Amino acid sequence: MILGDLLGTPVHDSDGIRLGRVADARFTLDGDPQQLMAGARLLGLVVSPHSWSSFLGYERTGLTQPWPLASLLRWRHRGSFVVMWDDIAVIGEESVRLRDGFTAYSPALDEAGQQ
Amino acid sequence: MKRVLGVALGILTAIGGFVDIGDLVTNAVVGSRFGLSLVWVVGVGVLGICLFANMSGRVAAASGRATFEVIRERLGPRAGLVNLSGSFLINLMTVTAEIGGIALALQLASSVHYLMWIPVAAVAVWLVIWRVKFSIMENVTGLLGLTLIVFAVALFLLKPDWGALAGQALAAAVPAEETASSYWYYAIALFGAAMTPYEVFFFSSGAVEEGWSIKDLIQSRIDVLVGFPLGGLLSVAIAGCAAVVLLPAGIAVTSLSQIILPVAEGAGKVGLAFVLVGLVAATFGAALETTLSSGYTLAQFFGWSWGKFRRPAQAARFHLAMIICLLIGMAVLATGVDPVLITEYSVVFSAIALPLTYLPILIVANDPQYMGEHVNGRPVNVLGMVYLVIILVASLAAIPLMIVTGAGS
Repeated sequence: MILGDLLGTPVHDSDGIRLGRVADARFTLDGDPQQLMAGARLLGLVVSPHSWSSFLGYERTGLTQPWPLASLLRWRHRGSFVVMWDDIAVIGEESVRLRDGFTAYSPALDEAGQQ
Repeated sequence: MKRVLGVALGILTAIGGFVDIGDLVTNAVVGSRFGLSLVWVVGVGVLGICLFANMSGRVAAASGRATFEVIRERLGPRAGLVNLSGSFLINLMTVTAEIGGIALALQLASSVHYLMWIPVAAVAVWLVIWRVKFSIMENVTGLLGLTLIVFAVALFLLKPDWGALAGQALAAAVPAEETASSYWYYAIALFGAAMTPYEVFFFSSGAVEEGWSIKDLIQSRIDVLVGFPLGGLLSVAIAGCAAVVLLPAGIAVTSLSQIILPVAEGAGKVGLAFVLVGLVAATFGAALETTLSSGYTLAQFFGWSWGKFRRPAQAARFHLAMIICLLIGMAVLATGVDPVLITEYSVVFSAIALPLTYLPILIVANDPQYMGEHVNGRPVNVLGMVYLVIILVASLAAIPLMIVTGAGS
């Protein structure tokens, strides 16, 4: 399975209730760049309840410019959240199931670009 | 002094490099059918290309990323690939049109059939891309393209009724013998010709090629803000010549020889010599820019190493992609399809693809993570949003109008 196949897959919680679709994957870089590039580790998935189209980067920052594009994109992705890799129970072809009691993190990053 | 010279050179190249086969053909067709009644569109288009070329240059200088790197990062792989497919195919169409344009211009100069010139033109474009330094390439074609000023000279020598021309331009109305839908179809074509996306791909990638920093932005801003409007005036002069000579004679432009007819009439043999040099230089320069743009977009999307500042061996896929594009362009032209017709379609398809390029630039130019303190100011954003709406409307209206008008015929 390649990561691209995962985009758009429906996401359910442990009771089978649908939460949305996979909109993006979030990676973190461990340590300094190696010879070619830094090792990237999958941190978790971004789940969006209304639309799994691209966020155009607006989930990561509190940016509100240019009006009204920013507002429109935010509205399309209202209620989206990040689930950590540890909170994912099953990744299947048709569905991603989360563990019981998973934590929904905000998709925003802080100033330094950290989760 | 060196700085002043640099600015002057930049402005001159921007003027000479502004006009390509799309501008030449569309402006002449429009002038011969609608007079100067669509001249306002050139103004709208020039302001738009100034705005977004500037923005993409600023993004490139502040973040070190060219336009398609930004598109790939922001749209993600799927939407990015859709965008690449659209932008790349239309760019390829423009490459084909420009090479056809060089061949047609050489045919006018030599009376040798243009199909014979196509391989010569394509190989020459490839050689320059392979061997010649970026700045030399840009400056030589830009400066030689300046000879197209002969269109403005010819317009004066034709001694037109300036009042009537101004009347057409200022009180824009659909001429009696044309329909409103073909008026708006050509409005979109002119807009697409002025704002062709490759200009932004080339401009932003050129900024990376030449290693611009924020410090260099002032010069690029002057080049764009002075050079492009003057280039736009050249477009208007082309339309004006057609409006003065071809419109009253009832000649609707379908070939390159008709475009230069008014110059021959107004400025004689000398004018003709200048315009032939200008045609070859303008189409050759644009062929270089579009061919490079096709390499830039592919390489930037797929993450290949790219750029003329690298040796071809170090950017092998970038150079190979451009060779393949030139071969495809040659193959299309070898079927005998009329390059002028390809040009007319390419400008309209460019208009359709405009939002694909300009939306991501506008968004990234607002992102402080890329831009630091150099994010868009409020006036630029307001103008950018106004243009995004215009671009979107033009893009959506293009296909229906193309069907209704039978592609403007």
